[in-house]
Amino acid sequence: MLMPPFELHNPASVEEACAIAAKLLSAGEEFDWIAGGTDLIPNYKWHINTKPHVISLVGLDASTISMTEIGCMARLQDIAESGDAHPLISMAAGKVASSLIRRSATLGGNLCLDTRCFWFNQTEEWRSSIDWCHKCDCGTGADCRVIPNQNELCVATYQGDLAPALMVLDATIHLIGPEGGREMLLHDFFKLDGMTRNVLRPGEFVLKITFPDDAGQYTGSYQKLRVRESWDFPEAGVAAAWKDGDRSTLRLATTALESIPRRHDEQVAESAGDIKALADAVYKEVKPVNNTALPPRYRRNMLKVLIKRACKE
Amino acid sequence: MSGGYRQQPGAGTSEKRVDGKRVAGKQTFSPPGSGGSRPNMAERDLDYIPETEGGREKQPAGAHIHDSARTGTIVGKRTPLVDGNAKVTGQAWYGDDVRLPGEIIGRIVRSPHHYAKVKSVDTSAAEALPGVLAVATGADAPTSFGVLPVTKDEHAMAVEKVRHVGDLVACVAAVDEATAREAAALINVEYEVLDSIHDMRKGLEDVDEPIHWRGQYHVGNTNVQKRVFQEFGDRSMVENPTAMHNGKWKFKGVNHGFTEPHAVVAHWDSNGRLQLYTPQQVPHYAHRALATVLDVPMHQVNVIRTFVGGGFGGKSDPFPHEMCAAILARKSGKPVRITFDREEVFWVNRGRHPSLIEVQMYADEDARISGFDIDALIDGGGFASFGHVTSYYNGVLATAPYELGSFYYTGARVWTNKPASGAMRGHGAVNTRCAIEVGLDDMAEQLQVDPIDLRLANLLPPNSSTITGFRITSNGMRQALHEVRRQSNWHEKFRKMPLGKGIGIGCGFFISGSGLPIHWDPHNFPHATVHIQVDMDGGVTVHTGAAEIGQGSTTVIAQVVAEVLALPIEMIHVRSHESDTSPVDLGSYSSRVTFMNANAAIRAALEIKDELLVAACEILGDQSEKLILNDRRIYCKHDPAIGISYLEALHKAQEDKGALIATGAYRSPPMGGVHKGAAAGLAPAYSFSAYVAEVEVDIETGLISCTDVWAAHDCGKALNPLAVEGQIIGSCHMGLGQVLSEQMVYGRTGHLQNANLLDYKIPSVHEMPNVTPILIESCDPEGPFGAKEAGEGPLLPILPAVVNAVYDAIGIRINDLPLTPDKVWAAIAKKMKLDGIDDPETLPTPRLDLSPLQDKLLARAEVHETRDKRRQKLEDIDAYANGVLFGLDSNLLLEYQAEGWVASTKPTPEQLAELGLAGTAWLKKEQRKIGGDN
Repeated sequence: MLMPPFELHNPASVEEACAIAAKLLSAGEEFDWIAGGTDLIPNYKWHINTKPHVISLVGLDASTISMTEIGCMARLQDIAESGDAHPLISMAAGKVASSLIRRSATLGGNLCLDTRCFWFNQTEEWRSSIDWCHKCDCGTGADCRVIPNQNELCVATYQGDLAPALMVLDATIHLIGPEGGREMLLHDFFKLDGMTRNVLRPGEFVLKITFPDDAGQYTGSYQKLRVRESWDFPEAGVAAAWKDGDRSTLRLATTALESIPRRHDEQVAESAGDIKALADAVYKEVKPVNNTALPPRYRRNMLKVLIKRACKE
Repeated sequence: MSGGYRQQPGAGTSEKRVDGKRVAGKQTFSPPGSGGSRPNMAERDLDYIPETEGGREKQPAGAHIHDSARTGTIVGKRTPLVDGNAKVTGQAWYGDDVRLPGEIIGRIVRSPHHYAKVKSVDTSAAEALPGVLAVATGADAPTSFGVLPVTKDEHAMAVEKVRHVGDLVACVAAVDEATAREAAALINVEYEVLDSIHDMRKGLEDVDEPIHWRGQYHVGNTNVQKRVFQEFGDRSMVENPTAMHNGKWKFKGVNHGFTEPHAVVAHWDSNGRLQLYTPQQVPHYAHRALATVLDVPMHQVNVIRTFVGGGFGGKSDPFPHEMCAAILARKSGKPVRITFDREEVFWVNRGRHPSLIEVQMYADEDARISGFDIDALIDGGGFASFGHVTSYYNGVLATAPYELGSFYYTGARVWTNKPASGAMRGHGAVNTRCAIEVGLDDMAEQLQVDPIDLRLANLLPPNSSTITGFRITSNGMRQALHEVRRQSNWHEKFRKMPLGKGIGIGCGFFISGSGLPIHWDPHNFPHATVHIQVDMDGGVTVHTGAAEIGQGSTTVIAQVVAEVLALPIEMIHVRSHESDTSPVDLGSYSSRVTFMNANAAIRAALEIKDELLVAACEILGDQSEKLILNDRRIYCKHDPAIGISYLEALHKAQEDKGALIATGAYRSPPMGGVHKGAAAGLAPAYSFSAYVAEVEVDIETGLISCTDVWAAHDCGKALNPLAVEGQIIGSCHMGLGQVLSEQMVYGRTGHLQNANLLDYKIPSVHEMPNVTPILIESCDPEGPFGAKEAGEGPLLPILPAVVNAVYDAIGIRINDLPLTPDKVWAAIAKKMKLDGIDDPETLPTPRLDLSPLQDKLLARAEVHETRDKRRQKLEDIDAYANGVLFGLDSNLLLEYQAEGWVASTKPTPEQLAELGLAGTAWLKKEQRKIGGDN
């Protein structure tokens, strides 16, 4: 399990990080960001899409945890244990992997989690034995192994736990890069493709998440389907939030079913407070594929149960 | 006793002046190690001395031959493992911790194809790479090997064909891992890809290119590696059954999931001898295979067993990578280290066989078990490994603890293009056990009786024999069932809990050591040998080949020696790492170590004890019968003041000859039948266990959570209750993995999809139930101080107990392990559709309405209980063979009493027509019978 060699850069500030990124970009060098490393390092050990440069964000002062803001470097265990973060966010953070991993993993890293697929998250030797796949084709132009005979879209699954919980609180994501900062609603951050995954431009990274002032009035729940109560990524995840006593404010988001997490505003509006109708509508909307531990049919059906439980008052 | 007797000879007798100061040059110093911080003798611990020897330790099963060797020192006491400190302080040296000066790194080149001919291997580019010191291919080691002498089908690296993705093709050694990896990628192998087989059912069919070729013994042109047929008893009894169960089971393959990946360091020393460091469970067979493959005499190989970070059967074969390291080291002249990635651990596998098992079970009007028909097709993967034995175990280890009217077994093991299956904790017995215990639960339901009472009324007694002729000695099955029933509060819960909650029972039966060694030797070679050496310092050095793999074998050997010699365990030093210094031990497999090694150790220790007693008699002028040993002292039983310290006796015994040296050995007594395969499953003793599991099933998601397990295991005598409990809890964890979440998933393309510990789902601490270990001590007549195995048997019952509990919870039996939530959910959905139910909350749960048969069973069990107690204490020494329950007389040959009572290992032509899936392997003829491949 030897990682290929890479050069590690350790900026001490956001500005310095952006400057290093700009310098590498102009030199035509490829690089990755690293925060907690719990996603990137295993992938590097398996020689998956490795880069010659890695810029560490550990030196950044970006660990704020409050009701209105969470910094990109906030560790998930701190979020889970913090009394300052929204309880829904703490709940979702507490369900990520294991306590050991949560102590290293960060908010920014969880949001930018690489998509996963059992044809892809394998060692180099393993992937060579299937002649590679679309997401990491090693220059061979290999086909997708999940849905063969299409070479357009990667259907690897996004299995982050935090995104849906943040989405239902109307979180805004703040990005920063050599060309300056920008912000957007979190649900506009993700992009439906297992390879591009999100709207981050080269050199950009996630700086923080902010919440509207009324986020504290919302209550909710995050339901995670997994085989084991530790370690496992979600096989399906549902977050719901609503203003206390006002179900018309219900918001719902799902994760681990497609290449991106999604908010289901349309289905919520159509079902008009009928949770069963909502569950049926979302069931029709999402289309998981067979690339995680449990079969897609089951994961899709479990949505109904998870939605029911997440919306339980 | 006051405990005031000092251990040091002459201590306190130094010449002193009148003012109390000692005179220079006139002091006597006690020898080191004689007393330490505890100069006074402790009192005898009567609670740990058997009643027969005047102590207070209860002996419900009667006296034992080793009773007189008990000193109350340590046997039966909770003893932390002697290597525990090394492990928790990080000082234990595992395979990858070995660092030799100048070592280089080896890397293996593996096949990317499922099945292919190796046309050519071009190593020139790799050899030209700077930093590469050696490259080897199959041509460097053409001799085949295998753990079983009858099936030597492995090579260090592919000679002709690769048989699964990950099979070894070549290897390189370089100055560092990066260079070794780079070099491995430069080796160019030309393959001719062949049609691969992934479905074990296809292994039964004729093909153009079988994965291996066995010459004249090859079964047709199939991939059948081994086929077994056994018929015992009277099959006419299964006609017109009162209850019948048919279960078609699917078991996925599972891997041991041990913590430490394989690692090996090979070094040819300055004298040209091979020093091989490897975490082996069975160093002796690795030793043999290395000598064969490397073509050197065995005495020129020293196998050094490092600490083993978990084995569970997965480190018991001689491995190709061990040969590779030795070959690379020989070529490069430097020590070579190879450490596996987790994925490579899955490639070498040897885990539990994926299996398709069908059981057909029958009970007659008296709820006697009139027949077990078992058909087991097992998927061996690319190599034989232990598979020859596994093929038998899947049937024959189901012949107890119940008395059977008939037993009919067809089994087959096929080669497929997957990593090889092999031996794993509970070897061969686990899957079939699950199927039959669930079948019994179903039959109890049909008969409307309590499944525990059904079992209690059908048990074989102690000192009996099974239908296939296994000799049962001690048997604590009945007591185990009683205990789990009582402690689990069974009567309040079974068939009485609300939907989603359930409780279930499962039993187990396992060998305690295999009766015949794998390498059969005509000269009665012992299975275990122990050397003891005691020098003047009083420390006892014990040399044994027993491979400590975390199960506590070193501790148990130290314990029994300490017990016999009445010494603190700190004075016993076990040396077991090197084949140069350790006498041959056959290894840590078949749950044989405690039984055989401790027996050998007791014999050696008794010899030392005798020498000490003789010396003591010479000093004390007393007779040895009147002397006892207790805490570093030998003294007169009736007057402790008359005695000497252990060191005084030792020094006397060493006069004119130096260190005391003794050897003890153990070999199983001759036993068992004479039919083909009679030796498979034969053991000097058997363990029994009964578990009750309680589960909660989330009926909406199908997620099962096992909340409580009451686990009773008959280990004969718990030499170290702490270790036995650890084994029971560990077994529950491992078995739960197989029943709930662990599986080796082979995908659409035949590739292993989850060769890592994130996707291969070993239960986490959150999935662990509250386990209550219950130790049953039936005191085995031949076991060391009465002990039997506790390492593998405790795994068996957890699977059926959970499956039966799930049925109790939701009324659905699922015959497809693991019970992943998707399967459970699908089964619930199917039942709801069949029953026309919309809301899963309204699913019916099974309830028990007892039939009149229940009282009959209770009465029979009561009679049997009295019978068992008498037989256990040998108050009744009449022969008892399986069949007595059906009215036969054990003193006469069964075949003469019952028409149709047979013992056959070959199917008749009529039977050929109706064989099960695995049985169809018998439809093919061997090559020699069809004139092929002479």
